[in-house]
Amino acid sequence: MTLRTAIIGYGKMGRIRHEAMERHGGFEVVVACDTQIDPDATVPMVTDPLAVYGYDPDVIVCSVPNMMIPDVVCEALARGKHVFSEKPPGRNSQDVRRMREAEAANPGLVLKFGFNHRVHDAIEEAKKLIDAGTMGDLYFIRGVYGKAGGPNYAQNWRNDPEQSGGGILIDQGIHMLDLFQMFAGRFTEVQSFVQRKFWTEVPVEDNAFALMKNPDGVIASVHSSATQWQHTFRLELYMRNGFISVDGILSASGSYGTEVLTVALNRLDKDGNPIPNPECQEIRFTEDLSWDKEAAEFHAAIADGMPVRSGTSGQALDVMELVEAIYAADPEWNAQLKSRVISAAE
Amino acid sequence: MQTPVFLDHLPDISTVTGRKPELYRLARNRALTDLQLNDNAAWHSRSTCPACGEDIARSRIFSRNFLPFHRCQGCNSIYSAKVPAQQELDRLRQELPAASPPDSGEDREFEFISLLNWISLTEARTETRLETVLDYRFCSQAPGFEDAASRLSHKRSWRFLPLQAGAEDGYGQLRQVLREHAPKAVLVQAEMDRVADPALLLRTIRETVAKGTVVFIGTSCADGLEYEILGADSPSFIPLDRLNLFSVKGFEQLARDSGYTVLEASTPGRRDAVLLEQHFNSAENEHIPFWSSFFREASKDRLRDLQILLQRSLKSGVMRFALQT
Ligand SMILES: [Zn+2]
Repeated sequence: MTLRTAIIGYGKMGRIRHEAMERHGGFEVVVACDTQIDPDATVPMVTDPLAVYGYDPDVIVCSVPNMMIPDVVCEALARGKHVFSEKPPGRNSQDVRRMREAEAANPGLVLKFGFNHRVHDAIEEAKKLIDAGTMGDLYFIRGVYGKAGGPNYAQNWRNDPEQSGGGILIDQGIHMLDLFQMFAGRFTEVQSFVQRKFWTEVPVEDNAFALMKNPDGVIASVHSSATQWQHTFRLELYMRNGFISVDGILSASGSYGTEVLTVALNRLDKDGNPIPNPECQEIRFTEDLSWDKEAAEFHAAIADGMPVRSGTSGQALDVMELVEAIYAADPEWNAQLKSRVISAAE
Repeated sequence: MQTPVFLDHLPDISTVTGRKPELYRLARNRALTDLQLNDNAAWHSRSTCPACGEDIARSRIFSRNFLPFHRCQGCNSIYSAKVPAQQELDRLRQELPAASPPDSGEDREFEFISLLNWISLTEARTETRLETVLDYRFCSQAPGFEDAASRLSHKRSWRFLPLQAGAEDGYGQLRQVLREHAPKAVLVQAEMDRVADPALLLRTIRETVAKGTVVFIGTSCADGLEYEILGADSPSFIPLDRLNLFSVKGFEQLARDSGYTVLEASTPGRRDAVLLEQHFNSAENEHIPFWSSFFREASKDRLRDLQILLQRSLKSGVMRFALQT
């Protein structure tokens, strides 16, 4: 089944999605929309998002800034179109609830968000190892995801809270939080420190630290940073019988390195105590297949009625609520957020 | 196909170059000499590479000590130009009181744990359940293994088929045990390099087990730096135990030609660096560009770095394959 596809937001992400859909073969991109027409584009382009519907698409790909996502998604669902949207799913959990209402009103349609880290090879391997039961009960998770803020940090819409909803945590850290909840379910208790150190001219955080616990007592700590000058992705999972870590994550820029999965099962001494430094197995992944897997899952959901596993609106809501809980758990940061809302209203 | 790297501490050099391994080497070489002096012994000459089938004419001489050995130009495997009958090989292995390679306490226990964890992790990653495993002869090679496997495998039951001389009717006994127990996995550790016909062993297993069975193979690797630099002088090169010294590429081809899917290939050998360091420090006059000074000057840290690099490059002297039928 070939799905007529319109891409709203034809920047870096929109083009990555376009390429993945071409590789898949089950999509035909019939139109792309952005604020400016690209004369070199290989598909017809429009500047009015509503104009894409004149091309009779089956599918809308939504790759627009966070604050526009709910409008674009709800409009598409209301018009009977399947939707694939980038993360974060809007600016806050209220945005997600709105989209979920539109989804519920159109039960025959597929809505999927691009939480692509779930389908990175190293992450999928880690999930298989844990699900097999070999590693034993999960004790705790540690995650570090960080970058060097980047050019035009202060001017980028991502760092205007009105447009994005927050800073590095909602933009990048959200992937780590989504993975935490994929491995351990919802985290309900949260402590945090959120701060702004380097980019003080914008009101969003450049670092967020959080410690959280789920109802089963699994503890997770996250550090999301825009002042991690060395691009870093590191996820560690510690279980009763050993540990798993994922170092590096394949990305469009390649700056987070290749993905290296390390897994070890403890060696026990005669009394059954783990001997330090067990043998580790290291597996490297060098090809980012996540975009292709997402395109394939989205297509199979529409064409074959398969369930969406990664990037459901329920997962989107859970992770947005966790982001909000982290912002709210730091009293100083929370007070700043509130005063900003008040001064914006005045 | 995945290529895992097995990271661990470097082994104690005495387990490779001490008195016990030397006695074992001497005993094996004496057995080979006796076999060659025996006019009644039957030998099979090889005209092609046992891995990739390349003509022996397209190979280089690797060694002439005890037996002529060739290195295949097609796949880099090393192999003897003639092999004794399997029954003869089994008899020689069983007759040697010192046939079990030297024990070294914790290292041996760690080797067993490494094999058992390998099976557990592959089982998890391939999303299969390997409740029953047949060990083919490693229990005879490594006397503590049976105890370790039974003690450390909680959710798995093991069957052991030890080496039995005389009773061998080709692979009839192996076939019978495979049919009787229908294991989900078969371990063939330290066997593939010393059998007369490795292709026949692989084929026998593949034809007898159910589809989906995972076969774990550990054997020596011809791509290892120890063999590249030291050749037949490597203390690991014991002719009677290295009749088929496969390269990664060669064994991969043999496995595919024998009807298997290759799940994993790795070279978890930990000895190349320490063997080479020992070699160059004990042979002061020997000069090989770059390597002799590298090893004479290398600290323990550098040796470990090199060993990990060799593993990551599939260039260490031991290899493992996980195959599926
Ligand atoms: Zn060959």
